[in-house]
Amino acid sequence: MRKKMLSVILTAAVVGTMVSGCGSKAAPQGGSGSAGQTEAGDNSFTMFMRSTYVGWIKELKWYDVAEANTGIHVEYVEGPDAFSDVYAEVDQRIISKTLPDAVMTKLTQTNVYGPQGAFVDLAPYIKKYAPNLQKYIDDNPDYATLVTDDKGAIYGLVKEAPVFTDYLGYRVDHLEKAGVDVDSIKTVNDFTEAMRTLKAFYGKDNPNYYPLEGRENPIRFAAWFGCPSNISAEESNGIYVGHQKDGSLDIMDEKAYTMVETMKTWYDEGLINPEFAANTRTEGDWEAAMINGNGTFEYDFYNRAEWFMANGGKDADPDFQMGVMNMFQDENGNVMKGTTGCKYVEECVTAVNAQCSEEKIKTILTFIDYFYTEEGKILANYGVEGESFKTESDGSKTFIVDYATEEATPEGEKRWSFLSDRFTVCKPVDNEAFFAWNSPLIAEAAERINTEENLMKAYNVKYTVEQTEELSNLVATVFDAEIAGIVAFVTGNKEFNADTWKAFQDEMNSLGLSRIEEIQLEAYQATYAK
Amino acid sequence: MAGKEKAGAALASGQNKKSASQRLIKDIKRDWILYLLLLPGLLSLILFKIGPVGGMIIAFEKFSAFQGVFGSEWVWFDNFKKIFSDPYIPKVVINTIILAILTVVVVFPIPIIFSLFLNEVRLKWVRSTVQSLSFLPYFISAAVMVSILYTILSPSSGMVNNLIRSLGGEPINFMAKPGWFRPLYVILEIWQTFGYSAVIYIAAMMNIDPSLYEAAEVDGANRWDKILRITLPCISTSIIVMLIISVGNIFTVNLDRILLMYNSSIYDTADVIQTYVYRMAFESKGFPDYSYGTAVNILKSVIAFVLVTAVNKAADKFSETRLF
Repeated sequence: MRKKMLSVILTAAVVGTMVSGCGSKAAPQGGSGSAGQTEAGDNSFTMFMRSTYVGWIKELKWYDVAEANTGIHVEYVEGPDAFSDVYAEVDQRIISKTLPDAVMTKLTQTNVYGPQGAFVDLAPYIKKYAPNLQKYIDDNPDYATLVTDDKGAIYGLVKEAPVFTDYLGYRVDHLEKAGVDVDSIKTVNDFTEAMRTLKAFYGKDNPNYYPLEGRENPIRFAAWFGCPSNISAEESNGIYVGHQKDGSLDIMDEKAYTMVETMKTWYDEGLINPEFAANTRTEGDWEAAMINGNGTFEYDFYNRAEWFMANGGKDADPDFQMGVMNMFQDENGNVMKGTTGCKYVEECVTAVNAQCSEEKIKTILTFIDYFYTEEGKILANYGVEGESFKTESDGSKTFIVDYATEEATPEGEKRWSFLSDRFTVCKPVDNEAFFAWNSPLIAEAAERINTEENLMKAYNVKYTVEQTEELSNLVATVFDAEIAGIVAFVTGNKEFNADTWKAFQDEMNSLGLSRIEEIQLEAYQATYAK
Repeated sequence: MAGKEKAGAALASGQNKKSASQRLIKDIKRDWILYLLLLPGLLSLILFKIGPVGGMIIAFEKFSAFQGVFGSEWVWFDNFKKIFSDPYIPKVVINTIILAILTVVVVFPIPIIFSLFLNEVRLKWVRSTVQSLSFLPYFISAAVMVSILYTILSPSSGMVNNLIRSLGGEPINFMAKPGWFRPLYVILEIWQTFGYSAVIYIAAMMNIDPSLYEAAEVDGANRWDKILRITLPCISTSIIVMLIISVGNIFTVNLDRILLMYNSSIYDTADVIQTYVYRMAFESKGFPDYSYGTAVNILKSVIAFVLVTAVNKAADKFSETRLF
């Protein structure tokens, strides 16, 4: 009898455990009308978001003030960290019907799932409940074009971002000790010569020294050679979609050949870290190399020079001093414009679950709309007057809290921070405030570099669902193959000469590069004809 | 007459069926505890193994997560046609096949050789210690394993390159050389799995009748003779079963390991069917193509099934051993 009882209990336990993971009741969230919802009219809503962003939001003092001012609380549902995983989870939540009230998604998802009925058409509700957001849409026709479909529906609100290019940071002390005058480096050829001098100076005693350090994808120098991917009403060159800034390259441009040739010279002479050139350099290794003096130049995110000062800097070497170089020029003295990201980030979109009640949609839009009011804009870009900024006699605003102190606040603690490149809520960005909220080193560089003369304009191009699907498949193949081919040439894994380069170009076209360019051009013409 | 015989056969078949179902009911009544214990496994098989196979129907659809399996547009064989017109597919198929063949040819014999030698160790504690140690890597995750590999092979500080440097050579960035990807992948596969596979062969060796060895000794057989003429033939059934299973997994490369190992420098050799499907379905810059990814996987499974059936038949023909 005891055996029988034990068998029954054991079987029930195993079956119970097995099926407990099935179904969606365990999920604590869902749009209004489903299990675990936030109550309509309770001035709160749930939002699915990338975990890193949630962590940042929880540290922002101005965000707490915004919630207090609107009386609306957002309960964040943390997603994964990797972007691709975030969007995959959106798919899974759509399948399992566990979407929270609002969701961080990407424009391609809202364009497909919106018309199918997963997300709310926000257009009529924006008119009704978000007058400031409506004004922003009316004042920014490029934004309106991007978020509105051909039937006038708006299924997602796209995040605005500050516009900047990568900066070429360098060790000021290295150049001084090696006798290199930074002002003499105007062209890429000058830069190569400077690296040779540095290699001779530092490399003679240090086999691990390489003047040019970096991480991950080494295909980031196209702008220096004048061959980034580009688009206009007449032509589209290179993979532009998703690579307006990073990974931007037009291999059909003859200057791309020069780029590979030069990078190969850097590689062969030990001027660029070989692991970086081979795309095997991790972020941690790169950072350690720069801090330990194994590298002099880095071409990366705009504020990385300051990061090295704050994380290592004088502690690593009393002479440690980073600087930011000017943009390069071509042989005729023309500025080589840097690639920039788009003003509107299509990978950071807020959509609203179609199951939400009108009351819930109103709450969500009221919260977002606040950031489009004058009060909201000042709060999100400068904080609270008297606490984080003051207004000068000429009406301009100055931060009264120290950037370095605030940004060095331990993780998880509240701070003033105005790094608008990070996704918090959809809101307008004050570029001036964004760059002012930086160390003097970066603020000075931003003022010097962020001019129209120095930056390539990046365009948000609107693609149809069919174009998106075809582009996705083609880019998944061609982009990686393109990088692989160039890395192979640079590192010597593949012979590099005019014939092999031509064969490589033909191979990329056969894989779909020319078709990508065709689709991009069609979409650009359709977007900007409006 | 013939009609009567047919009717008789049908009746007998019906009776057989009836008696089979009656026998099952009788069995269940008698051994209900055993059947009860079978239930979780059976449910698990249906819910998590057989059930999800139905989801593969999305290969014939233009799948939308919102519209679901039953609401998505039906496109018949469009995704399969696309596979054959995709110019990149031949490259990833060739890479997959080379990696799969290397895995079977190089990895498969290692645990057999290892277990044969281990079986010859006289000291029991040495044998069991070596066996336990060889089994341990099986529990190390792919991430840790690849990290160890990166550390050992680092061009600046790895022990292998330090050795090369000390011998006067130039450091090699192994992880960035397409030619090194396959050997490194296979080495990791051997490291991780040989101890686990060896357990199966050692277990088979335990069942060999000791009198066979005694008789061989009387006949003057040495150790090699005993290994080749007794041990190896006696474990041949296990070897064939393991070979059939290996062939079944021929296209199932270790995706985690490859994703951790691969970078732009080695795409020429490291890009395989699974990484391609992963890029299409999960790492898509635009909209993920789950349907196309599923279609590629179905095709892969069909080829693997054909190969397994062929090997099974060949095994039956040449050694009178078969898995099914």
